[in-house]
Amino acid sequence: MADTALKATNITKFFHDPVDMPVLKGISIEVKKGEFISIVGKSGCGKSTLLYVLSTMDTDYEGKLEINGELATGKTLNSLAALRNASIGFVFQFHYLLPDFTCLKNVMIPALKLGKYSYKEVEERAWEKLKMFGVEEQAKKRANKLSGGQQQRVAIARALINDPAIIMCDEPTGNLDSKNTNIVFDLFQKLSKEFNQTIITVTHDEDFAKRSDRIIEMADGEIRSHGH
Amino acid sequence: MKISVNTEIALTYLSTRKKQTLVASLGVMFGISMFIFMQSLMKGTNDYFEKMSFTNTPHIRLYSENKVADAHMLNSFLNDPSVKILTNPKQLKQTEGLTNPYGLIQQILKNKEVAAVTPQVTASVLYTSGSVQLTGNVAGVNIVEEDKMFDVQGNMVAGDFRDLNRVNSSILIGKGIADKLSLHVGDNITVTSASGNPTILRVIGIFATTIKQVDETKSYANISQAQNLLGKDRSYVTDIKINLRDYNNAPQVARELETITGYKAEDWVKANEQLKAAFKIRAIILNSVIGVLLLVAGFGIYNILNMTIYEKIKEIAILKAQGFSGPAVTSIFLQQAIYIGLMGGVVGVIVGFLITYGVSRVYIGAGTLKYLPMSFYTPHYIEAICFGVLTTIAAGFFPARKASRVDPVSIIRG
Ligand SMILES: Nc1ncnc2c1ncn2[C@@H]1O[C@H](COP(=O)(O)OP(=O)(O)OP(=O)(O)O)[C@@H](O)[C@H]1O
Ligand SMILES: [Mg+2]
Repeated sequence: MADTALKATNITKFFHDPVDMPVLKGISIEVKKGEFISIVGKSGCGKSTLLYVLSTMDTDYEGKLEINGELATGKTLNSLAALRNASIGFVFQFHYLLPDFTCLKNVMIPALKLGKYSYKEVEERAWEKLKMFGVEEQAKKRANKLSGGQQQRVAIARALINDPAIIMCDEPTGNLDSKNTNIVFDLFQKLSKEFNQTIITVTHDEDFAKRSDRIIEMADGEIRSHGH
Repeated sequence: MKISVNTEIALTYLSTRKKQTLVASLGVMFGISMFIFMQSLMKGTNDYFEKMSFTNTPHIRLYSENKVADAHMLNSFLNDPSVKILTNPKQLKQTEGLTNPYGLIQQILKNKEVAAVTPQVTASVLYTSGSVQLTGNVAGVNIVEEDKMFDVQGNMVAGDFRDLNRVNSSILIGKGIADKLSLHVGDNITVTSASGNPTILRVIGIFATTIKQVDETKSYANISQAQNLLGKDRSYVTDIKINLRDYNNAPQVARELETITGYKAEDWVKANEQLKAAFKIRAIILNSVIGVLLLVAGFGIYNILNMTIYEKIKEIAILKAQGFSGPAVTSIFLQQAIYIGLMGGVVGVIVGFLITYGVSRVYIGAGTLKYLPMSFYTPHYIEAICFGVLTTIAAGFFPARKASRVDPVSIIRG
């Protein structure tokens, strides 16, 4: 139990627009600490929807969600926000940065919010993360001046800034060439093996998925295979 | 310097939208400067009219008035303090004038608030010159004290008012009387009261106030002259006029004097009810104008924030995904409103002062009013800032709350 990072039990979610339609049908997953798992499945099968539920952003579901052994279901929005800030890094399917801020600031903001490190330290850490993905030269540029791939790497750097226990990514390598995909993969592997951080990625990249610890296959709102 | 992330984000949003920020601040600035200008004008005008009214009204006038019988009178007459109930009380005719006026004056002077006291004998009279007659009233006064209290000198158009003390059987008349009876300094005028004989007096001076009705009826004579006109003795006094150190205390002091002396004490507020009504009406007009101005400024802020939130809704969702709570998002947007309000407020206070100062220098020359009366009153500036900040917070509150309620998932999913 102590080494479980995330446990979802019987998650069911409906979309009511235009008609009541189940998107997630009683999904149960358990992910161990330090595990690097991939979620795969056809487009529209509910991968993103599941990830939003697991990330605590979406609270409109039935079932039970535990993160680090703590029940997340039923918590107030504010305490979920604090939980996300400290323990969950999220990379969106469409890399969303704040266009009015520099890349460096974008990476720094979640850490400034957390308030664990001084401004100077946060700035240094942010530089480091940008360097890891080879985008440190873009640090002082406004986020909306970057290419898609560069933005995606900045977004991944941002997700890592608070050393979250769990990192969730929705197609983090969708816009990256093979070289950068490898950088991201190697880094994720390092984070999971060396720093015991849990990584859950949704991906269409078969190669990427195969190299991860475990593949969860989804189809039509259900889990086909847990990959054990 | 350590500023919070929320503040940093708020400031970034403001600085990346300089034009909108500027327009919203200008709205606030305009509202605040107009607030200050109009408050200053109103207070200046009110102060001016208040001061004007004191050029012929004392702060308190003590006089004898018929009153309704009450148990108190009966008790003091019977020297018996038991409780009595009067049925069907009647108006009592008081002796004309005040009893023991000089004793009363000594009593009144004991009050710490009182600055000056002077007795007066008022007589209704008929002015006659040749075959023309005019009704009016003579104020029998000590002219030197009268001048101290009401600045007689400032109203003089001909002659020297001090001659009232130097020349026997003299009178100082209003300009209206002089014009209607075509009198000049040195001419004679016949003055008749209801109870005395016609008396011929010499005009030693002419005065003009700003009030036509006063100039056409009022004249000054020595107090003993007025007593003669009425055929009364030297102890006959109809009014005691009292000025206070602070005229705002008049209503309260008047009540005290009433209980001490037993006579009617009328304060200037009661004597100038039309003035107070004018103040009130001006205040209503002014407050509605200010209300509209602040409303417009508030709408400016409301509008720009709403637009920002509409444009930034995705970013709000991202912030929330990264762990910004609802209150944090509220703070980001409320802070933007407050900074707009502060910027507009500070500049507005300065501009308001400059406008007020500028207008106070504009010569208008209407009658005795040479410049627009403007007051420079610090509380107006403090009020303006408070109102400005309150308006911005109120205007910012609803958009900020809307932003805090953004559901990140539904926005990010698109
Ligand atoms: N807001 C919504 N209202 C109604 N239906 C929705 C809504 N959002 C998504 N859906 C539906 O839910 C299903 C799952 O969507 P989801 O975004 O989770 O798919 P996905 O597996 O991430 O697909 P992709 O690989 O293309 O990103 C889809 O059939 C989609 O049409
Ligand atoms: Mg998806």
